[in-house]
Amino acid sequence: MKSNTRLFLTAFLACTMMTAAACSSTNAPSPSPSPSPSTGTTEQTNSGNTKEEKIKLRVMTLTTDENRNNIMDQFIKPNLAEAFPNLEVEFEPGGGGEDMANKIKTYNASGDMPDVFWNDAGFFTSLNQAGNIMDLKPHITESGFLNKYKVPEALEHFDGKIYSIASGADTYFTPVIFYHKDLFEQAGAEVPQTFDELIEVSKKLKDNGIVPVATPGKDGWAPKLFMLQQMVQIEDPEAMSKLVTNETDFNDPAVVAGVERMERLVKEGVFADGIANLDYGPAMEMFTSKRSAMLWMFTWELPNMAKIEGVDFFPFPSAGPAYDQNKVVQFWGSPLNGYAVSAKTAHPDEAVQLAEFLAMQDALYFESVGSAIALETGNTASDLDPLMEKFLTWYNGAEVMIPSMALNSLDARMSSEMSTQGARLLTGEYPAADFIKVMNQEWEANTWFD
Amino acid sequence: MNKYFSTRLSITVFAAPALILFTLFCVYPLLPQLWMSFHNHNGFQNLGFVGLNNYWSVMQQSSFWVAHKNTYLIVGMSLLIGLPLSMILALFIDSQTPRLRRFFKTAAMFPAILSVIVISQIWVAFYEPNWGLFNTILRAVGLDNLTRSWLTNSNTVMVSIGLTFLWQYIGLNAILLYTGIKTIPKNYYEAALIDGATPFQVSTRITIPLLQDVIKYVLILSTLGSMAFYAHVRVMTAGGPGDLSRTVIYQMYYTAFDTSQFGKGTAIAVIFVVQCLLISFLIQRFVAREKVEF
Repeated sequence: MKSNTRLFLTAFLACTMMTAAACSSTNAPSPSPSPSPSTGTTEQTNSGNTKEEKIKLRVMTLTTDENRNNIMDQFIKPNLAEAFPNLEVEFEPGGGGEDMANKIKTYNASGDMPDVFWNDAGFFTSLNQAGNIMDLKPHITESGFLNKYKVPEALEHFDGKIYSIASGADTYFTPVIFYHKDLFEQAGAEVPQTFDELIEVSKKLKDNGIVPVATPGKDGWAPKLFMLQQMVQIEDPEAMSKLVTNETDFNDPAVVAGVERMERLVKEGVFADGIANLDYGPAMEMFTSKRSAMLWMFTWELPNMAKIEGVDFFPFPSAGPAYDQNKVVQFWGSPLNGYAVSAKTAHPDEAVQLAEFLAMQDALYFESVGSAIALETGNTASDLDPLMEKFLTWYNGAEVMIPSMALNSLDARMSSEMSTQGARLLTGEYPAADFIKVMNQEWEANTWFD
Repeated sequence: MNKYFSTRLSITVFAAPALILFTLFCVYPLLPQLWMSFHNHNGFQNLGFVGLNNYWSVMQQSSFWVAHKNTYLIVGMSLLIGLPLSMILALFIDSQTPRLRRFFKTAAMFPAILSVIVISQIWVAFYEPNWGLFNTILRAVGLDNLTRSWLTNSNTVMVSIGLTFLWQYIGLNAILLYTGIKTIPKNYYEAALIDGATPFQVSTRITIPLLQDVIKYVLILSTLGSMAFYAHVRVMTAGGPGDLSRTVIYQMYYTAFDTSQFGKGTAIAVIFVVQCLLISFLIQRFVAREKVEF
């Protein structure tokens, strides 16, 4: 019996050792790099460091569109090594929208935040509650970076802290209607001044075999980010302002009318077939290849649109006397959107410097394509493209600027539900009344204003 | 020596390492999820014990039941359409000359080795309502009235995604079944041939009955694979339009990550784990229980 037990124990030990050997990692943990002394300034140190001594930082950036890819390929990557010889930066493409939000939320939940990341109002609350986002104000004040902004106060959140730094280009991002002038001429259509005229123009285009409007509808992108807001404010800007600040709800007659306008647009065939599943790239391609006459899009695409011959833009037409299309705009900017730093990074000084660098590269790119920016680059302003000049003249003349509801009023749950409900509204099978009912329930549970 | 391997103690000793690993990596991770499902949890912060409220709340959402309907639709398509087609394809491959057999085996495996992302994007292009393959063909043959926006129409979206899934995995299942067919002794077929059996009779009286172990394996693989259906939906429609094409796994992900309600998300997960266990048990209990020997 004794020898049996010994044999069993030997066999058990052998099996366990084999299993443990099979499951163990061959990668022994490498010693963590010793942090180099922090300078607290934008000066880089110790360029003679060997590769092994470099500080490793993880960065998650937006990779949603051509602009973001150009910034990465033409500005960030070529300039990074020279600016930070002591850093080894690992870039993680974040995508955008819900994809990016979910990645960040996962990192937030696991406590494994990238050192530097693109922050967004949609997921800021979670990060802030978890203590995972750094107040950049003391750092960028000390480094002098804050003084490079035309309006430094615009960076502050309502708690007085600064969580993100960006090029400031997004202050000038607003949804407009881009259109092909030749396709309008071909259909005998004029630029619409009213909502009803917009419907009529769309019918003319459709009769001529042209898709009237392309815009990204998949996952409720356009409805959530701008369409609902535009459809409300083109009749009653005040009601929209009140909705953004939670002074009214979705039962407001002006809001109901706005949702009904969205329903009507779908039913009148204004949008491309399958709009509810049309992604950003295909929507852009549909317009740039002239398969649609209009593109409803933010002006971050304006530099790209200016390169296409015969493309112009006009503001969303009016649906009531309270709205003047030359005096009311929706603006995208939020102090929460931009490069942020993890509060738990092992290298706070280097991470903040990297965030400053990234914001500056954004600014240099947007400046190079003729966009307006709020961050001083030190370069002299070049001649503006006529389309950009037209835009700035219109935008700077606005008297009522309504902040984006998507960035300034929705918690994660409300934001997701708005995507869901917005996409359903675009199918044409979902009544506006159902949308209103669900959104009101969600609005009551919205914690953004708590 | 045999006595060492026939006792209960020896079985326990040799099974222990695998059992420990299984418990550690498969059973243990479920326990925190179970705990989380009884709490109001936003992913990084526990906001308090809520008992069964999460379960009650998710079951009151229409999206939860839409997701179940969609999931079991995919399971149904997979079993009622996919499995018979795989069987037919396997029999077809078996009836070919060696050269054609090699070609069909490669062709059948090809979709399964491609990335889900690639397959899904290709099929999104097929379904595109304005210039996609299907609507273009329908227009070309004068069936304009049958064209539609396949992925945004509530009646067609889930079936359209399901067809993509079937197309990708029918070939793989056919190869598995074909491999089983090749293990059946030739003399059974020779005897049937002498007795004058038709190919249909050979298939239904010899091949399929003798394949029941392989069929059971494919059945479990298809059922659980269909229940875990997520990636195609993510790429093709992102669960939309709205919630119309969400599966249970998607609904769980959406609830936990998109809306930051991890307590409710894990409640959905627990409900779903119970369903998967139940279905696995039913298949094990009632399908192909008798051992086939030949």
